[in-house]
Amino acid sequence: MTTISCPKCGAKVGFDAGTKFTKCSYCGTNIYIDRSGAGFYYIIPFAVKENDAVGMFRRWAAGPTKVKDLDRLAQLAGVKRQFFPVYMFKREVNGKEQVSVEPAGSTILPGLHSLKIPAGDLKIYDASFDTSGAEIVQPDIEMLPYLNQLPGKAKEQALVYFPVWKLDYVYNLKRYEVVIDGSSGEGFASEFPVRGSAAYIAVAAAGFIAFAAEGLLAIYNLPIALGAMGLTVVGIFGSALFVARRM
Amino acid sequence: MDLSVGLSCPSCGGAISVVEGENVVICKYCNSTLFVEGDSGVYTIAFKNKVVRDSAIAASQAWWAKGLKARDLKRVGKIVECYPIYLPFWSAATRAAGWVCGYEERTYSDSKGNVRTERVPKEAMVLQDYAYSEIACDPGDLGIRNLRSLSGETSFADFEMIPTFEATTSKDDAIKKAREEAISRARASANIPHVTFERLHTFPKKLSIIYYPVWVVRYSYRERMYMNTVDGVAGGVLSGRAPGDPLFQSLAVTAGSSIGGLIAAAGILLSEMDWRIMIGGLVGGAIVLYVFYRFFRHGSEIVEGDFKERGASMRDVMAEVKDISKQIQGAYR
Repeated sequence: MTTISCPKCGAKVGFDAGTKFTKCSYCGTNIYIDRSGAGFYYIIPFAVKENDAVGMFRRWAAGPTKVKDLDRLAQLAGVKRQFFPVYMFKREVNGKEQVSVEPAGSTILPGLHSLKIPAGDLKIYDASFDTSGAEIVQPDIEMLPYLNQLPGKAKEQALVYFPVWKLDYVYNLKRYEVVIDGSSGEGFASEFPVRGSAAYIAVAAAGFIAFAAEGLLAIYNLPIALGAMGLTVVGIFGSALFVARRM
Repeated sequence: MDLSVGLSCPSCGGAISVVEGENVVICKYCNSTLFVEGDSGVYTIAFKNKVVRDSAIAASQAWWAKGLKARDLKRVGKIVECYPIYLPFWSAATRAAGWVCGYEERTYSDSKGNVRTERVPKEAMVLQDYAYSEIACDPGDLGIRNLRSLSGETSFADFEMIPTFEATTSKDDAIKKAREEAISRARASANIPHVTFERLHTFPKKLSIIYYPVWVVRYSYRERMYMNTVDGVAGGVLSGRAPGDPLFQSLAVTAGSSIGGLIAAAGILLSEMDWRIMIGGLVGGAIVLYVFYRFFRHGSEIVEGDFKERGASMRDVMAEVKDISKQIQGAYR
């Protein structure tokens, strides 16, 4: 745990990313942690292991908007883990608290349309934090220019590293990229092989039209209409099962 | 500038203790009443985690067996991970007070077919407290945004052991949303169809952060990883993703096209009485077809809770049908 010195007795007092007030365990002094004048480094640890990240990718790839069987047909070409940096600013503007998230690097994550701080257990990033071999993407935009531009009074400013799994896969000779949030498991992608709806719509529309026509027929010849409806039920069910399984 | 500031009473120098969120403190040595200036934080409480690992797993497995999920899920699904977290929620109490005035239109038709419209003036006073809750960090892929019940036994006992997600959204944004919601709920409670005048005030009464225990359960099904969350106070499943079943998808489209088609046919057959019945039958049939079609198209994954994408569940489909009908109404007007 990160420590500060107690302003009264000088003892080390531990504090965490969310701590505002804490108590010195030696002299009992209450300490307010004033973040307005300092820049903090926070980091969200990985909660998702490599195997789980691949499993989450397979679930994502099996989703209804992705091409059928993408979870089985996609060939994984690389799995990388990274800590990705963003800036978080808490300001007081006209008496109101404002939180903004700004880019810290010129590279962007595919599919992450607006920058955010993903859900996670914020820790203070210092030498005691174990990154367990993950690459730490260095920020190439400085914090200072933002501080000079942002309105209001500073309450807190921090560089936040969040964990991501970057997975590359190949489908139909084309390379795609997915990012899995290493804390909550959310998947991001800007491009992926899309599943068409045509076959699904065709089955539903054919069934609807057939039943409407047979319904009209029913007042002229009930037995024939009922027989036709029975055949349609079997036909629609069979083709729907085929479409749902294979297309 | 010093990072740490020791808090002592400005009149006697004794150490004072400040509870986060409170802005009036009484010095226990000299009894001075002190006002906390600046960032006094937000009143924070945590609910005791009452669910143990085994019951979180049992609740998840019971959920797998329910509804239109893959039939072999209960047999094939394997729990990979199951751990509790504390999620932060803004909890705001807001009082709304004011008046809403307007009128209601009533249409009468007599036996001769004359139609008469009457305007009934209405006014209503509103004075009500509203509770609002919203997650105080990015919801990620947990599928939780609001809490239905905000009650539980308060305790910070597990706070050190359970990973705690930090609040990263602005407290004043939460207050603003709580006020907006209080206004719209107050307006709805006045129950006046055509509003001509309204003056509603909101008074934020209390804002706190509630740390709510939630179990995250990750499970595998045919090499894919799904998840669901379990309420750490009440023990039920809050949200989750689960594999669907092609059988249910096919049954859905068979049922939808047959019922929808027959409703449309009935509409056409009855159109001799009134042409509006035909339109009603065709539109009604199409809506039925669409609801079932949605499940057919998106039912390969069952999604429950507040996830970003709209899934195949009835609630999501109804939300979409409502959106579409609003658009049609808007275009018609």
